[in-house]
Amino acid sequence: MVESIVSTGVAIGCIYALIGITYNVMFSASRVFSFTAGTLGMLGGVLGSLFIAQMGMPVAVGLLLVLTAGAVFGIITEIVAVRPVLKSLDQHLYVLSTLALALLFQQFTAIEWGTEARPFPRLFEIARGGFDQQFWLPMLACVAVIIGLELLYRFSLVGRAFLAISEDNYAARALGLPERSLRMASFALAGVIGTLAGFAGGEMLLAFFGNAPILTFYGFVPVALGGMGNNRGAVVAGLLLGLFQQAANFLVGGIFASVAVFTVFIIVLLVRPEGLAGAALQRRV
Amino acid sequence: MPTLAAEPLLQASSLSAGYGKIRVLRDIDLTVAAGEIVALLGPNGAGKTTLLRAVSGLLPWSGNVRFAGRGLAGASPRNIVKAGLAHVIEGHRVFTHLAVLDNLLLAGYDLPRGERAARVEEVLVLFPEIAAKRHERAASLSGGQQQILAVAQGLVRRPRLLMLDEPSAGLSPVLVDRILVVVRRLHEGGTAVLLVEQLIEKALALANRVYALARGSIVLEANTEEADLPQRLEHAYLATPRHTS
Amino acid sequence: MEAATKLHQSRATVLGFTSTFGTALPFLVLLLVGIGFPLFGGGYWGVIATRACVYWVLVSGLNLVVGFAGQIAIGWVALLTLGAYTTSVLAAGNVTPEFPPYLALAIAAVVGAVFGLIIGLPALRLRTFYFAITTLGFATIVTQVALAWQSVTGGGVGVPGPIFPEPFSSQWGFYYFCFGLAAICTWMTANLAASRFGRALTAIRDTEVAAEASGISKPALLIPVFLFSGAVAAVSGGLFASLQSYITPDAFTLDLSVLFFIAILIGGRGSILGPVLGTILLTVLPELAAPLVAWSTFLYAALLLVIVLAIPGGIAELLDFKNRRPLASGRAIIPRPDLLNSLLEVSRDPGALTLEQVALSFGGVKAIDGLDLEIRAGQVHGLIGPNGSGKTTTLNVISGYYVQERGTVRLNGAALPILARHRRAHMRIARTFQTPRIVSSASVIENVMIGGTIDGEGTFVESLLALPRYRRDEAMLRATAMLALTAVGLERLAPVRADRLQHSELRFTEIARALMLRPAFLLLDEPAAGLSAEEIERLGALLVAIARAGTGVLVVEHHPDLIFDICHHVTVLNLGRMLAAGSPAEIRSHREVVNAYLGG
Repeated sequence: MVESIVSTGVAIGCIYALIGITYNVMFSASRVFSFTAGTLGMLGGVLGSLFIAQMGMPVAVGLLLVLTAGAVFGIITEIVAVRPVLKSLDQHLYVLSTLALALLFQQFTAIEWGTEARPFPRLFEIARGGFDQQFWLPMLACVAVIIGLELLYRFSLVGRAFLAISEDNYAARALGLPERSLRMASFALAGVIGTLAGFAGGEMLLAFFGNAPILTFYGFVPVALGGMGNNRGAVVAGLLLGLFQQAANFLVGGIFASVAVFTVFIIVLLVRPEGLAGAALQRRV
Repeated sequence: MPTLAAEPLLQASSLSAGYGKIRVLRDIDLTVAAGEIVALLGPNGAGKTTLLRAVSGLLPWSGNVRFAGRGLAGASPRNIVKAGLAHVIEGHRVFTHLAVLDNLLLAGYDLPRGERAARVEEVLVLFPEIAAKRHERAASLSGGQQQILAVAQGLVRRPRLLMLDEPSAGLSPVLVDRILVVVRRLHEGGTAVLLVEQLIEKALALANRVYALARGSIVLEANTEEADLPQRLEHAYLATPRHTS
Repeated sequence: MEAATKLHQSRATVLGFTSTFGTALPFLVLLLVGIGFPLFGGGYWGVIATRACVYWVLVSGLNLVVGFAGQIAIGWVALLTLGAYTTSVLAAGNVTPEFPPYLALAIAAVVGAVFGLIIGLPALRLRTFYFAITTLGFATIVTQVALAWQSVTGGGVGVPGPIFPEPFSSQWGFYYFCFGLAAICTWMTANLAASRFGRALTAIRDTEVAAEASGISKPALLIPVFLFSGAVAAVSGGLFASLQSYITPDAFTLDLSVLFFIAILIGGRGSILGPVLGTILLTVLPELAAPLVAWSTFLYAALLLVIVLAIPGGIAELLDFKNRRPLASGRAIIPRPDLLNSLLEVSRDPGALTLEQVALSFGGVKAIDGLDLEIRAGQVHGLIGPNGSGKTTTLNVISGYYVQERGTVRLNGAALPILARHRRAHMRIARTFQTPRIVSSASVIENVMIGGTIDGEGTFVESLLALPRYRRDEAMLRATAMLALTAVGLERLAPVRADRLQHSELRFTEIARALMLRPAFLLLDEPAAGLSAEEIERLGALLVAIARAGTGVLVVEHHPDLIFDICHHVTVLNLGRMLAAGSPAEIRSHREVVNAYLGG
């Protein structure tokens, strides 16, 4: 029983962590939180089921297509919902524009794909049971993303350019860095990470349009608790969240588990609005 | 090196710029010829930083700005850097989370790989104090060293015109002189420099020509050899032209 | 002076009357259409109309939270759910003794108020996006609880909605019941919008910093708003349950929440009429064609995107014909300093604002390093120095935005409480900002009236119900604001939307707003920046007159012209310490000052 809680908890925690990283990558590039992160996760599962189960493509091809779609959605988000509002003086508009875009994607999926949760294909032909692929696939995805990002930031100039834009956008522009292309690339990367999370977690979460609001909320908790833009914090917080949720599920049942998670989240935020690891923002007058 | 080009390297005419509704610069005319050092002086709030930002494309502006024979209207900062105009912004803003070497590599982002590495090495030769720390994060540098790093970033692309915004701010006199020595060497090598400075005497000692900016307009333009410049400058800043009584 | 004040009051009343009629007209039209609706609408459209009224009851309250206070509360459907279930369960009498429907509705309102406060309170601590996410989480939780708590809510099976007794049990009877409640909600929220509370909410939304400087306390203001919004949302839930006849948890989808939220944004923030039209539009739109029903939320989202990108002001902006009329070019600001005496009425006690050995560092850099300063009533004191000398930091310490690490700030001998920014206004310390901070979508006079918020006496409830004290407040604030605007020279621009003004006009608007406090001390942060030479001269004359009326004026500046012309006393800062202090003549010839200023 404990094994089941741990494996489910860690697996789902990895999915939440990846959505949190998706939020963070978009935030690092633009200082904006986008509502589309959870929707990207949902699309990863739905598109994966569409390409592989319905259209019969091989797994590798299906995965590639899903990630490409993710990158495209990410770029659309940047062009349509982020870039126009960055120029305006009202900073809060980004909440509305990304919310609108996320709803558009969700509703389109609901209408074209249907509102029922459909099964996600089994990716590897291994029998069920034990430490099943539905558990280790999300973990593998999470590890791959973490390692990939480390390599990107450490060894490629583009990765270091991302870090530069994230730290001081103005200085980066003055230096001649292609700030706009880098931001688009960041959003494309976020799209890839988000859809990968949904794809890897497809068997657990099923291909369901209603995953979008769930992932929007539960994927943001690691960001709020781990600190804005802090990927390591997001991973730790995501794993803790997953474990806590599964433990609460087992102890008090599904509904009250949700209430428990939510209550803890609110209390932590109210006590430390900047998250457990984040730095407090100094207000400028 | 005398230039025979009819057009100066940088030519701004009727340049106006501001932030949102606030008009800061009003109808500025300014030129920098190839290979000369021009000092831009003036009290705080006069618009010196705004002027540099407008020229390097960081701010929208109206009027006419030409660099190396091409108009800069609508050009992005990236294209302006590629054209040979480098802007070292105020406040020694370097990327503290990245290593010194990375900061310099990013300055050569658009260059081919080999050339980029070569130019970075060139620049590190000019500034041994940061060359010694090349693999350390910029956060570990002192404020003065960060400023030197910022100037070094501006040099990676061997610009034709280097604009420096108060490079001496917050620096010890020793470091200030280091930077000014580098500026003089650049000048000897043919790079033009537009220097915004608060240290009037040092700026005048280095520059060929000087502009004084006050309240958004040019109030003085002179060669640095001319007599009693310091008094004329003071008068230009503090004069209250409306006072007739 | 008396005649001048009377003239301003009567002019204000005329302005007030004509603008009131102009704004009331659309509502009157809606009222007439609503009352007469049964005459030309069939049964099906009757349901739609009733639904629109029910939604509007909720949206009217949410409008205060989202449109006025600017809080992104996406999950408000939680309160609709709570209200619906509370009313239905109490009225059905299966779990509790059977309650009469009206009483059930009233109890639901109380429950709604409490939960409205619970959902809303995190807004006081959390950033925008974080708060939006928590309301989303809340909505999901409430629906899940409704599904799981089978013994009370009937779980997935649901409960029947309440049936209201005669004459409201028939379709049209119920329609008039809902319409009546919708009309009352419109009236109440319109009253609030045109009160000091409504204006204060928009100030918190757009310029929280300036709102605090005017004495507005965010918690004190948001708490009654959440209570009211929660209550009407719950009432709306009860009506909704009755309209549906039978409710199950999946009637309360996030789609509904989205509808409410988007109706407000399409309508335009800070407006009542806009969201009314927005609600009607979004309720009717899916009914116009069968395929549209399935795509309704998609359509709402598309509309929201278009509005945000193209017309952020929404329908309200489209209907703002008044502000399409071109303004005169070449406008001059001509202050009337003679009016200041009747405006300011400062007590003749010669008090002083003093700083004693104040010190403050930011991350190892000494921003202020042991500063002594004295600002005397009735004098203009200049504070100058190069960039980074600590001028603005000093002003921020005095006005309570930063707390000093050492030293004291005293007002007439008594130490000022630290960090209590909104208390400064109560002590008659007013300030302006480096960049004018105003509510762009409000008119100039509304912006100035915000400055006098703390002088109003009417309570929140009195404002909702348009009781006499609220009316007196409005008349007083409007008259005082017109006087202030005339004193600074902007009276012709009073009804103009603030974002149409030039930079210099915004500066003077800020000064008029500060004058509403009848300040004993007025602190100005670089007021001359961006002004023409003429405007600087007029500003100088105005500040001198303000001082002569008894106020102590502190001017932080770069511009030597302004400082040397109008100051009685000048302090020069450099690197956080006082470099020199004295009369303008002394400072001007002080060698070190000139050097520091020019950087030689």
